[in-house]
Amino acid sequence: MAATKQPVDVGVQHSLFSGQGGRHLREALQAYLFLLPGTFILFVFSLFPIGYALYISFHKWRIRKGDFIGLGNYLKALGTPQDAIFTLGGLGLLAGSWMLWRKIKSEEPVKITLLKALFAFLLIVGGLGFVLGFPQMLVNGDEDLFTALLITSYYSLGTVPFQIVLSFLLATVLFQNIRGKTTWRILYFLPYVTVTVASAAVWQSIYEPRRGLLNLFLVTLGMPAENVPKWLFEATPIGVYLGDLVGLSLPDWAGGPSLALVSVIIYNIWTYVGYNAVIYLAGLGNIPHSLYEAATIDGANRWEILRDITIPLVSPTTYFLVMMGVLGTFRAFNHIYVMTSVVGPIGAPRGTTMTTSMLIWKNFWSGNRFGYASALAFVLTGVLMSLTWVQKRISEGRVFYG
Amino acid sequence: MANLAQAPVEENLQSYQLREAISRGLLYLILTIGAVIAVVPFFWMLLTSVKTYGEHGAKIFWPAGLSTSPYLERPATQELTIPMQPAEGWQNVPRSFSPPLEGAIPVEAVSRYVAQQLAEADFLVPFDVNILATDTTDDEQVNYDAYMLTVGSRIIDQFVTRLDGDELGGPNYAGADRGRWGPHFQVVDSDPAKFVVRESWNVGYMLLHNYIFAWREANFARYMRNSTITTLLTVVGVVVTSTLAAYAFARMKFPGKDLIFSLYLATYMIPGAVTLIPNYLIIIKLEEIFQTTFGMTNAWYDNWTALTIPFMINAFSVFLLRQFFAQIPDELYDAALIDGCGHLRFLTQIVAPLSKAPLMSIVIFNGIWAWNSLQWPIIVTSTETWRPVTVGLSSFISEAAAETQLIMAGSVITTIPILILYFFTQKQFTEGIATTGLKG
Repeated sequence: MAATKQPVDVGVQHSLFSGQGGRHLREALQAYLFLLPGTFILFVFSLFPIGYALYISFHKWRIRKGDFIGLGNYLKALGTPQDAIFTLGGLGLLAGSWMLWRKIKSEEPVKITLLKALFAFLLIVGGLGFVLGFPQMLVNGDEDLFTALLITSYYSLGTVPFQIVLSFLLATVLFQNIRGKTTWRILYFLPYVTVTVASAAVWQSIYEPRRGLLNLFLVTLGMPAENVPKWLFEATPIGVYLGDLVGLSLPDWAGGPSLALVSVIIYNIWTYVGYNAVIYLAGLGNIPHSLYEAATIDGANRWEILRDITIPLVSPTTYFLVMMGVLGTFRAFNHIYVMTSVVGPIGAPRGTTMTTSMLIWKNFWSGNRFGYASALAFVLTGVLMSLTWVQKRISEGRVFYG
Repeated sequence: MANLAQAPVEENLQSYQLREAISRGLLYLILTIGAVIAVVPFFWMLLTSVKTYGEHGAKIFWPAGLSTSPYLERPATQELTIPMQPAEGWQNVPRSFSPPLEGAIPVEAVSRYVAQQLAEADFLVPFDVNILATDTTDDEQVNYDAYMLTVGSRIIDQFVTRLDGDELGGPNYAGADRGRWGPHFQVVDSDPAKFVVRESWNVGYMLLHNYIFAWREANFARYMRNSTITTLLTVVGVVVTSTLAAYAFARMKFPGKDLIFSLYLATYMIPGAVTLIPNYLIIIKLEEIFQTTFGMTNAWYDNWTALTIPFMINAFSVFLLRQFFAQIPDELYDAALIDGCGHLRFLTQIVAPLSKAPLMSIVIFNGIWAWNSLQWPIIVTSTETWRPVTVGLSSFISEAAAETQLIMAGSVITTIPILILYFFTQKQFTEGIATTGLKG
């Protein structure tokens, strides 16, 4: 029996590795082998840490692991469970009502009344939840977190739109038939290529109140030397600062970001305009030339061509750049760290440059609150994911692909 | 008739040409302004890095080291004796409030008389007057500081200033750490009758003194070596692992493909802030394990392993390559198969040479990321042994504090290698970014 079975076994094995099925098995084994090094590293340093971070965030963890406190860290950040449910649930319902509103347009008339009623219900309940929950959340939650989120939003709103507009303008100019394209491109790209720490150090010395290039320039222009702005050292909100110059006194809350944060924003715009322009150039290159010719024949002027052809057709690039810009500002660390390090402790001056990523760093590295910092990181992830979601929804129907 | 029709056409053509010329001029103007803004910080960096401390302090825009005169057939050394007249001696000394920081300031700022004498004798020495400060009291509230104005080893003037608390414009207290605070001068004559100036040119030193000083102070040689090694290792690692993984995803069939791919996708969505803390703890744990089982110290913490291995794969690179590999026609593989070519040979000999462009993008992006990383190296290094240049520079910035010229020299040192690399590869560089940017 055994003697007769053996050749069969060999036969099976033979066919396993050489026949049709064998080839598949061998290919699968080889594929796993190919995937092994990357996936192993990815698992240890990217995937497993996500779970581990969640685990850390459920504990009181100051360098060494402490007690399990469940959602304690999250509640410390976001206030009581009730506030969180009201606010987040309210936001969720509002988002749902909005999606419903978009859906209504494409539905048949019979269903519309029903859907409209549902929409109104979601809108009211969601809005109510948010209105009731959010102020309570601000009171009960971590003030630092909400300030940091506000500062980060200032940072994003101050950076991304300017970056996009300037780089689009630059790209349209560079796209014309001009001389020395390569040279211009090299020059505009320099800020992105430089080591962040070095360029941040350079800008920090440009902003230096007494001997910095910027203030030397302002003094040359005729500004009295004792009135020059202190840039990175100035914690006064930009609105209040400008208001003072023209004799208006604005309240602090209407002032917007501090002059220090504005300085960081200017640096950020400087770094990324050239980079974005290069990506825009590629987007512009993809627009078929025949469209421009047709429009010119139809008598469209430059502005009309820009408005009706160029801008809609580069909208995928714009969408991508806005997305990357927003995510980038929420993750920004290096240049804020370097530029404000000479001013004072993290977030200097007076905490006005304390973005969320700096707040997490402060809690983690200076405060040794590993558990709380992890919870904050997850809150940041939530914010980023909802921002991505909102941007995706907004862009739907507005971004023109092909 | 013909003439009447001709004139307006010509006029139209002329005005059209004029308008074209104006709009082109405007185009170049905008481009130039933009380019100036893009380049000015670099210019400022270079300019400041060859200034002396005094030149920067006195807001002198163009450093003497960059003027042409030193290079034009001047004797290497020449001397000038200036008789000092009491009335025209050292004057215009910055006093009381806002005294200059410790260090050197140009002779013009201290004595216009001496400066004039020097100019008349055609002396172009960027002559600095040294200011040394001594802390005369240990009073915590109020500091009385004495400033001795010296030229060489000779004290010209001294004055005392009072500073309250953290008043702006005070001397640089960080300087105390640098061993230049204290009575390390010699009193020779407080009322000199004559004054000898020696002009001696050391052009190379004039331009490079900050670089030499910064290089010695901050051990940039070590930092550059560390950054180069860790960046190279990371990039090589990423290229190998992500090519293999992307090939498997794009061209091979195996069970669990979607699941594994979605795991890659998950890591792409999570921001680095989440994984930072657990990764730190993992490195500490690995360090412990290696210490107890293999008796190795610093196998992970404060070593190149922690700086490179965690970054040797990323989802972005895998996605980018997968997209490209998937476009390679199947016929190529079938033909290769007939020739007895396996997957590995197909990958290395056919697919990889075809994928130069995306591979170049991956090298560039990962190179920039690795060279720029700051947060992670701060966490996992504690000594200079493997500290990259970003961490070195950022701690040098706080050490050198007010000595901007040294910080700028350090910045130039760290930037130059990257810029050289960029100028050589700028075409692939911008193309790589343009094409991958759209797909992102």
